[in-house]
Amino acid sequence: MTLREFLSDQLSRIALQLFCVGLAALFLFVTGTQPDVLALLLLALLPVFVTVYAAGFLRQRARLRELEAILNALNRKYLFAECAPPPKGIYERRLFELSRRAGRAMTGAVSDAQASQREYREYVEQWVHEIKAPITAARLICRDLDGETRRKLTAELAQVEAHAERALFYARVGSPEQDCLLRLVKLEKIAAQAIENHRSLLIQSGVRVETQGLDCSVYTDEKWSVFILGQLLQNAARYRGPEPVITLSAKLLGKQTQLVVHDNGIGIPAHELPRVFDRGFTGSNGRNRGGATGMGLYLCKKLASFLDLDLHMVSQEGEGTTVTLTFPAKENLTKL
Amino acid sequence: MQKIMIIEDDPAIREELALLLENEGYTPLVITEFTDVPNQAAQGHPDLILLDIGLPGKDGFSLCAAMRKAVSAPVIFVTSRDAGVDEVRALSLGGDDYITKPYSVPVLLARIKAVLRRSSGEPEASDLLDAGGLRLSLTKGSVSADGGTAELTRNELQILACLMTHAGKIVSRADLIDALWDNQIYIDDNTLSVNMTRLRGKLAEIGLPDAIKTRRGMGYQL
Repeated sequence: MTLREFLSDQLSRIALQLFCVGLAALFLFVTGTQPDVLALLLLALLPVFVTVYAAGFLRQRARLRELEAILNALNRKYLFAECAPPPKGIYERRLFELSRRAGRAMTGAVSDAQASQREYREYVEQWVHEIKAPITAARLICRDLDGETRRKLTAELAQVEAHAERALFYARVGSPEQDCLLRLVKLEKIAAQAIENHRSLLIQSGVRVETQGLDCSVYTDEKWSVFILGQLLQNAARYRGPEPVITLSAKLLGKQTQLVVHDNGIGIPAHELPRVFDRGFTGSNGRNRGGATGMGLYLCKKLASFLDLDLHMVSQEGEGTTVTLTFPAKENLTKL
Repeated sequence: MQKIMIIEDDPAIREELALLLENEGYTPLVITEFTDVPNQAAQGHPDLILLDIGLPGKDGFSLCAAMRKAVSAPVIFVTSRDAGVDEVRALSLGGDDYITKPYSVPVLLARIKAVLRRSSGEPEASDLLDAGGLRLSLTKGSVSADGGTAELTRNELQILACLMTHAGKIVSRADLIDALWDNQIYIDDNTLSVNMTRLRGKLAEIGLPDAIKTRRGMGYQL
């Protein structure tokens, strides 16, 4: 609050007081008081008014600054009214009371929203688990069909499963700490699992997968890493070029281990590369091909950040794409 | 005949699973009443139990703990819940393996086989395959016939093994690729052709140039 703001706020009161003083001076002048005595009286009154207003200004400013500091220090700002110092004066007390009531309504609304979000997440998780039963049954039933139909249906089922899986991880991304379990896992195992999960798509796309030197271990959550790698494999298969080859290789970088996923696919235009991890971003490749949701890589980035996993993507249009996953060294795992 | 008990509340999965196991040469024992599972399990004397975690009433975890007293058969947990903590819990409760739905059929069968082999203390499946005048050694990676012995690469070995286990039958290219992917050899159609040509070359060296016949439009046949 500036002095100017304070004065303009007090304008009507100052005007009233000036009017009263003027009236009193006029009355004294008419009733025969000497002008110089009158001037002396007015001069004596001036510092009194100035002091009162200055003190008022300083007091209000200090109070406002104190309240502002409290608000700034608060994590959840809407709890301000509960944390503010006891109000001074009847007017402020009433104001505080009002603001506290508003805050309480807000807290209620927030916790309602949180509860419904949690319920929604739980429902999605439950739904995904439920959908897995019929997928499993359908897979078992498929076995009786002849080769070509079985393969096609299995591939479609794998698609259903991949979509359900993304929904599950999307629901989990909100509170990932509930499902995260960091352990020492072999890269081989992660790679084999991710390839197995998407084998129908990969085989159908005529992809060859080469693995090199994956017999090293990393500290990570196995399921999440499998999911992330699975998204990358799906992308590599979808945006493939002629004679597609995906290479998975491991590199040691000091105490960190890197998993490099390279494909010789159609690549990503340079200007789209910075946005591929954005939510809902599909890019020209996704639009031309159709079926892209813009969720896969977004989820990868989200999950990776919880796992302390660095995701780095390099791509050359028409040449291919390389994604490097840098797993954290064991001593850097502090969060979980 | 080894008996496998299926404890699964989804009827479609239960029936298909029983059918699958029967076709694979096991005797399936199906539980349809989930009131007194440990007793039923004890009476059935299964060699292996496939246990779903999400069951009506008691869940699979507490069931496993209860059954452990009466039944010594190994337990494979089958579940659609895929939280890592569940897996740890399942294994710490005495489960022998843990598979998440939806599983692929070959993976499930391989896990069943592995657990059964471990629990019965049987030796590894035979290392030698004999068919069509060929003898294949899986550990040495070599094939021998009257005309001599040839060393095979990993890919060639798995291709030949697949053809030999289905000796006399036509194996389609897609099935061959499937079989190779099962063994962590992730090749495509072209690579299969290249490997097939090399394999035939090696077989020719040991005096069997026409051991693998091409059945146009259908696949290969040993």
